[in-house]
Amino acid sequence: MVYMTYLLLIGLVLGLAAVASNPSPYFAALGLVTVAGMSCGILVGYGGSFLSLILFLIYLGGMLVVFAYSAALASEPYPEGWGSWPVSTLMLVYVLLVVCVSVFFSGGWFEGSWVTVDEFSEFTLFRGDSGGVALMYSSGGGVLMLGGWVLLLTLFVVLELTRGLSRGTLRAV
Amino acid sequence: MTLTHYAFSSSYFMSFLGLIFYRKHLLSALLCLEAMMLILFISLCLWGLILASTVFSAGPMILLAFSACEASAGLALLVAMARTHGTDRLKNLSLLQC
Amino acid sequence: MNPYVLSILLMGLGLGTTVTFASSHWLLAWMGLEMNTLAILPLMAQHHHPRAVEATTKYFLIQSAAAATILFASSTNAWLSGQWDIQHITHPLPTVMITLALSLKLGLAPLHAWLPEVIQGLDLTTGLILSTWQKLAPFALLVQIFPDTPLLITSLGLISMVAGGWGGLNHTQLRKILAYSSVAHLGWMMVVMQFSTSLTALALLMYVIMTASAFLTFKLLKSTSMNNLAMSWAKAPSITALMPLVLLSLGGLPPLSGFLPKWLIIQELTKQELGLVATFAALSALLSLFFYLRMCYCLTFTSSPNNLVGTTPWRLETKQVSLPLAISTSLSILLLPISPAVLSLTLPLF
Repeated sequence: MVYMTYLLLIGLVLGLAAVASNPSPYFAALGLVTVAGMSCGILVGYGGSFLSLILFLIYLGGMLVVFAYSAALASEPYPEGWGSWPVSTLMLVYVLLVVCVSVFFSGGWFEGSWVTVDEFSEFTLFRGDSGGVALMYSSGGGVLMLGGWVLLLTLFVVLELTRGLSRGTLRAV
Repeated sequence: MTLTHYAFSSSYFMSFLGLIFYRKHLLSALLCLEAMMLILFISLCLWGLILASTVFSAGPMILLAFSACEASAGLALLVAMARTHGTDRLKNLSLLQC
Repeated sequence: MNPYVLSILLMGLGLGTTVTFASSHWLLAWMGLEMNTLAILPLMAQHHHPRAVEATTKYFLIQSAAAATILFASSTNAWLSGQWDIQHITHPLPTVMITLALSLKLGLAPLHAWLPEVIQGLDLTTGLILSTWQKLAPFALLVQIFPDTPLLITSLGLISMVAGGWGGLNHTQLRKILAYSSVAHLGWMMVVMQFSTSLTALALLMYVIMTASAFLTFKLLKSTSMNNLAMSWAKAPSITALMPLVLLSLGGLPPLSGFLPKWLIIQELTKQELGLVATFAALSALLSLFFYLRMCYCLTFTSSPNNLVGTTPWRLETKQVSLPLAISTSLSILLLPISPAVLSLTLPLF
């Protein structure tokens, strides 16, 4: 499991470098899918299976569908993948930067175990993190109300921002 | 600073640099922003998991809701910009310079 | 905009700032900041013309990146020290990150470049909200973390004063000038923050009052550039006579209330034996004073060539609400004689 988590962390950094080196939006969205998958794995490795499930559902089920839709809006005839040299150079620079900076911080990596003890595994019938999320509905009720209010507010924000007054089409090409 | 902490901190800074130095598509900038929110989600989750703080597990959920709000507002701005400017190139955002 | 939607958005603005004020946990503070950002976006883009959408996009990118950085820095602090409290930022790395992110949110130099462009794209009412109400929540956080980095804070403040004075010099657009004046005023608040937070609150209060009267006057006169100011005597003669006083009060001249924060801040700096900083601050106020005087000159001493019909609009009754303008103008001119009362108003805040 330690080995797996190690691989997933490397995948996380590489995937983020792939997003941050700014290829065309399709490829960046693909990189973000990779990063979401890796972080699901890391969360499972640390014993948060419920949070990992939530992340998986929200990111892959909801958000990236939206991004795929709007990648169609911002499409271009000759997309720039990771093969083209400005993108690959930038990615290489980012990864090298991370590796170089890691020299300064690597002293503390091996002091303690960086794999969690996972006290939650036999907490109750369910895992500890799902119990913690359920607390949102009892003692965290105020925060839940705030979240709901913000979702409502965002509905109006999006409606007001995208309201076309007299300019009909989305894009005049 | 553990290895996990270093990994997601460096990923956060990478996506922040990507957001700062990027000048081409608004959508890519929004994707970088989304990657930053994803890293924040992982950071909050792992903090709660490592410290065995069950109560804090609700925090990442709220963060996820807010980041969904932010992403949808960003996409709405993308649509509004496609209406007014006809494109989503960030270079076109130069009407207010002087 | 539909009044129901408008009321929901204004409630969102109010709720966001209130949540940030009331929070002691970083996640809650971040939620308040995000609500503020989300709620003002449609207000900024309400006219849907390209400049407004551009300003909204820039504002959204800047604010959400800064808010995410604040939350990331506080989670770093939690990883390093196990604390989520706002007042328990102890590690220097998160302190510096949060200070820089908050100054990006506020528009302090050298992170101020977005502010003039964003304000230039808005109408004057939204510009007023952006340059007053939206500054409150980040400033509350900045005062609460009480950053223990004197070099960073002082240099941010000094650079802001100079950049605010220098940047506004050659502009003819009033909104850009007001944005630069906001940068300069924020610099004054930052410089004194580590010695006396009540003086910071006082400077913020006076800044809000004076900026409100400036924006409201320009809204009444329907003028957004220097050229339009030359015709304002034909639109509203009495406010044209009072407006130079408000502008000089923004510049900080003695018998007006804008002198009060500058006086007290320089006194405090001198008390802390920071004579050089105080001198620098006082001299950089002269830079700002130059463009305020330029606006006064255009407002009162010039009259553009005009036909007879163009000089009569003052006979028409204005439809705008003038009570806030009256209150803020008289406050921004007349507060200096009761300065002990004003000072005692902000003292119990901290």
